[in-house]
Amino acid sequence: MGSLKDSAVSGSNPLDSPVKQIQIDGLVVLKIIKHYQEEGQGSEVVQGVLLGLVVEDRLEITNCFPFPQHTEDDVDFDEVQYQMEMMRSLRHVNIDHLHVGWYQSTYYGSFVSRALLDSQFSYQHAIEESVVLIYDPIKTAQGSLCLKAYRLTPKLMEICKEKDFSPETLKKACVGYEHMLEEVPIVIKNSHLINVLLLDLQEKSMVADKHELLNLSSSNHLEKSLQLLMDRVDGMSQEIVKYNSYCRNLSKQQQQKQQYLQRRQQENTQRQSRGEPPLPEEDINKMFKPPQAPPRMDTLLIAGQVNNYCQNIKAFTSQNLGKLFMAEALQGHSS
Amino acid sequence: MSRFFATGSDSESEESSSADEITPKATGTTFNKQALLLSDDEEDTKRVVRSAKDKRFEEFTNIIKTIRNAMKIRDMSKCLEEFEQLYRAFLKSKTIMDKEGVPQFYIRLLADLEDYLNQLWEDKEGKKKMNKNNAKALSTLRQKIRKYNKDFETEIASYKENPEQSAEEEEKDDIGSASSSKSDDDEGVTAKSLMKKKPQEEEKKAPEASKFLKGAADEESESEDDEESEDWGSDSVDSGGESEDNEGAAASLAVVFLKKAQDGDKHPERKKDDRRKRHKKMEQVDEEADEEGEGEEGGWEKVKGGVPLVKEKPKMFAKGTEINNAVVIKKLNEILQARGKKGTDRSAQIELLHALAGISNENNLGEGILVKIKFNIIASLYDYNTNLAAFMKAEMWKKCLECIDELLDILFENSNIFIGENIAEDSENLAISDQPFRVRGCILTLVERMDEEFTKIMQNTDPHSQEYVDNLKDEGRVCGIIDRLLQYLESKGSTEEVCRVYLRRIMHTYYKFDYKAHRRSLGLQGETKSEQDQEESEGEDSAIIMDRLCKFIYAKDRTDRIRTCAILCHIYHHALHSRWYQARDLMLMSHLQDNIQHADPPVQILYNRTMVQLGICAFRQGMIKDAHNALLDIQSSGRAKELLGQGLLMRNMQERNAEQEKIEKRRQVPFHMHINLELLECVYLVSAMLLEIPYMAAHEFDARRRMISKQFHHQLRVGERQPLLGPPESMREHVVAASKAMKMGDWKTCHSFIINEKMNSKVWDLFPETQRVREMLVRKIQEESLRTYLFTYSSVYDSLSMETLSEMFELELPTVHSIISKMIINEELMASLDQPTQTVVMHRTEPTSLQNMTLQLAEKLGGLVENNERVFDLKQGVYGGYFNRDQKGGYQQKQNYQRAPDQRGGYQQKQGYQRAPDQRGGYQQKQGYQRDQKGGYQQRQNYQRGGYRNQNQSSY
Repeated sequence: MGSLKDSAVSGSNPLDSPVKQIQIDGLVVLKIIKHYQEEGQGSEVVQGVLLGLVVEDRLEITNCFPFPQHTEDDVDFDEVQYQMEMMRSLRHVNIDHLHVGWYQSTYYGSFVSRALLDSQFSYQHAIEESVVLIYDPIKTAQGSLCLKAYRLTPKLMEICKEKDFSPETLKKACVGYEHMLEEVPIVIKNSHLINVLLLDLQEKSMVADKHELLNLSSSNHLEKSLQLLMDRVDGMSQEIVKYNSYCRNLSKQQQQKQQYLQRRQQENTQRQSRGEPPLPEEDINKMFKPPQAPPRMDTLLIAGQVNNYCQNIKAFTSQNLGKLFMAEALQGHSS
Repeated sequence: MSRFFATGSDSESEESSSADEITPKATGTTFNKQALLLSDDEEDTKRVVRSAKDKRFEEFTNIIKTIRNAMKIRDMSKCLEEFEQLYRAFLKSKTIMDKEGVPQFYIRLLADLEDYLNQLWEDKEGKKKMNKNNAKALSTLRQKIRKYNKDFETEIASYKENPEQSAEEEEKDDIGSASSSKSDDDEGVTAKSLMKKKPQEEEKKAPEASKFLKGAADEESESEDDEESEDWGSDSVDSGGESEDNEGAAASLAVVFLKKAQDGDKHPERKKDDRRKRHKKMEQVDEEADEEGEGEEGGWEKVKGGVPLVKEKPKMFAKGTEINNAVVIKKLNEILQARGKKGTDRSAQIELLHALAGISNENNLGEGILVKIKFNIIASLYDYNTNLAAFMKAEMWKKCLECIDELLDILFENSNIFIGENIAEDSENLAISDQPFRVRGCILTLVERMDEEFTKIMQNTDPHSQEYVDNLKDEGRVCGIIDRLLQYLESKGSTEEVCRVYLRRIMHTYYKFDYKAHRRSLGLQGETKSEQDQEESEGEDSAIIMDRLCKFIYAKDRTDRIRTCAILCHIYHHALHSRWYQARDLMLMSHLQDNIQHADPPVQILYNRTMVQLGICAFRQGMIKDAHNALLDIQSSGRAKELLGQGLLMRNMQERNAEQEKIEKRRQVPFHMHINLELLECVYLVSAMLLEIPYMAAHEFDARRRMISKQFHHQLRVGERQPLLGPPESMREHVVAASKAMKMGDWKTCHSFIINEKMNSKVWDLFPETQRVREMLVRKIQEESLRTYLFTYSSVYDSLSMETLSEMFELELPTVHSIISKMIINEELMASLDQPTQTVVMHRTEPTSLQNMTLQLAEKLGGLVENNERVFDLKQGVYGGYFNRDQKGGYQQKQNYQRAPDQRGGYQQKQGYQRAPDQRGGYQQKQGYQRDQKGGYQQRQNYQRGGYRNQNQSSY
């Protein structure tokens, strides 16, 4: 945890968003990490609430608390009640009690899901400046703290508000998987006293402690990522097949409709020539009900997830390659 | 009452009137019996013969009487009931009515009834007083009669014009009949005055007495007893009606009840009267019998003396009667007429037939008649059980066998008897004459039936009891009979019959293992002298017999079923005696596999049995794959027991009802023909193990690996699920444990699990050539373990000495060499052989798991792209679109990539790099085996760099 400051600036510029930067207290980061270490294992996910306040266009997150892990069978547990209670208690000890978002741990970067989308939407709908912090414990264990803040783009907010995920609306809104989430830059800020302590610690820490970073390849990590990626690709394939069959049905029906209209027209002209009144117009849409279009949101999410995985793998492999080259060079040097 | 009268008349006219067929038959059979015992020519003349018309009319008058009575007491529901009965009776005797015209009394009743009803209908007050049922009945009856009377309008009208005349006519009729009955009575009185004076209590004894007098009369009296209560019921109505009559028709219902109470004390008297009347009637019948008996006075005298029932026999024929053919046949027909009728004592019938056979034998009536009687005895033996599911009793069965034996004896001794089922009854020639006998009947059917009965007996005996063994001993006799019949029919029968009897013979042969032939083929002599003798007396091998019989059927049979059965039995027999190639060829030639599903269930069961036997045979011969394939169908369903007809499954109890269950039970194969299910399963699992374990090892990373045997995998999973693994107990556990050992290439453990004391006693000792099978099995285990070992651990080795391998698996070097060569040729093992040093050099080209995964991903992405293109095509239309420009290039290539895997089956993804190493491997072999680490590395590099595009190219 040598880095004082970890920021990942995303390319998208959140101009129209009320939050342009996030400033996180060291305390929050540590609390999140601790939460995961205590309660999360493997692919299990831990979640919690972020507290803080907005200062100009900067969101300061000063504290957080975890959601308790609860099992299926205790039904009477009321999450909202718990949150309110918690916030009230925190207020009593004079801590920022404004709800500004939530955090979640992730397993190999798999967090783009329907559940996340829905809850972030409801947060952002209620509290405009809400963010979701994604914490990747595995990467962190490898030596680099991985904490990212995301917000839904306004476009996606619109769509979610409409609850209309048909291909047409998505096309109209020009929402691609790239435009679903926007990443907000994060700054970790500590009090001066803590900074002093850290500097002090840095002095004392051994060199070996930092060598986690140089750990050479773990194909295990890659395999896991690949597995997850494959799973998502399968999902994508299925979605495409679904969409494909929908398209085919649609075009088939269009054809039928055309044929029907043509026939009707012919008949009408015949009738006209015979001097009979034309056939009454019928509701064509009733006769040819268009097939139900498959919702495209899942596809989008999968695409986003796949993108995420790819990015992860890319980062990982490029890092590893670098390390390998380094190792080669070192070996050459030493021999 | 009506019934009583009807039946009474029925009995009397049994022989003379043909119209009696339509009379109600409640007690008819008992009288038939009587007739059968008493029918002598003389009797017929003395009998009172009444025409059908009389009978009918009597029935009518009875009903009418009841209706009138009911009318008197205003019992409308009774009226309605009776009217309906009348209507029915009328319809029945329509033919007579057409001939004779509608009787006057009938019309009169109709008219009266209508009037009466109308009158009642008008009487509003009376109607109100009626209870609900009566009121309802009244309205329905009124409607009915109105409708009904329309048919008789003219008659009724004429009657109404002139009621007296017709009434008189009827009166006369009545008087006539009454007087006649009276005279009867008188006669009865004079003849049997003693009996008449008997007190009531003794009445019950009367039937018994009459039983001694006359064997069948008891039945009649019994039936009378039965009806007594009924009669009383109607009598009481009578009395009620009469009493009401005294009071006048206007009396209300309440009065009726009161009246009835008063009547109470009158009843006993009436009853007594009634009984007396009935008594008279009985006597009348008795007397009749006496009259009948007069002809054979002597016989009857004896009986009067209280001679036991056994002595019935002699009275079959009157003493003085000359017993000749005609008489015996007549008697036989009489006995046969009772056959199948309700109430016939079947065992008595059999007795009678036996007696008849004895008589005809005594009197030397010739073989013809004897054969005919025998036929009938056997048939009635079969008839003894009315229920199809029930089986014959032991003594019946013994008797049946004896009879058939005797029949065959006669047939063999007298070659001049023609029997056949299509000889008409009247063209039979039973008398001794110059002409040969002609007898109707089919010995083949009887024997077939006997065989079925035998199966039924075996099905219904507990297979673990001594009884079963005893019953099974009869199998020899059954076979003997079939053999004799076969001889007989070969000389006399038509080809169809011969085919049928051959099939029977085959059915009794195919499942038996011919130990003698087996021993002979092994070159062993019987150990003791007696056995040798037996061998000699045995004659042909069963194989030769089977061959002869089946070939005859193949050539001559015209019904598909017999041929199919014969083929299946033939295959089964071949398979049982380890003649695998003959069995397989026959199975393939018959094309039964294609159309067996159209056959009936028993044939399908036979087919399943045959397939199973074929599979076991293949296993014994070491054809593991064939064995597995043959057994797969039966074993994979998990219903082997049901499919082989060796028991019902409990679990679909709710799916079938009792009826189906009965049918299924009838299909079961008797226990001595069962195929050992454990053996079957073990053979299947072991062959699955020998196939599946190497396959699993070879395709460890293959995402698209298919299971060879689901059943086997299931067993493995069950084994894995166990929390604690003890030493194996059951056969399945043994196989699972052996599979696990084999997975590691540990053939010795595997061997010890498959072949040990427990498994020997459970399974392997059941084979006739136990030792040979075990040797084969050991060998197979060694080979397959070697393969598994190479698949599993090849990545660990750089090179492997074949000598080490041959030591490890205790196989000869050439065998090891051949197995490895085969694997290399089949591209299962990436290695090459180094001849001078006798080593296997691994190419180390198996992809790592990450590489495997990447390849899978690539494949999936290919699929994704293709799907995507399809969507795009749809959008753009097939022509045009800027992607089409590329289609010749990139996309097409991708398609190639897609297609190639399909052609190559299991090894799809590896294609690209696999080729190269192989080529290089071959090349290197020629080069003098200069392969070293570097070569391997290069190849790997080649693979890694090769990537996508290279693969595409090399796949072309």
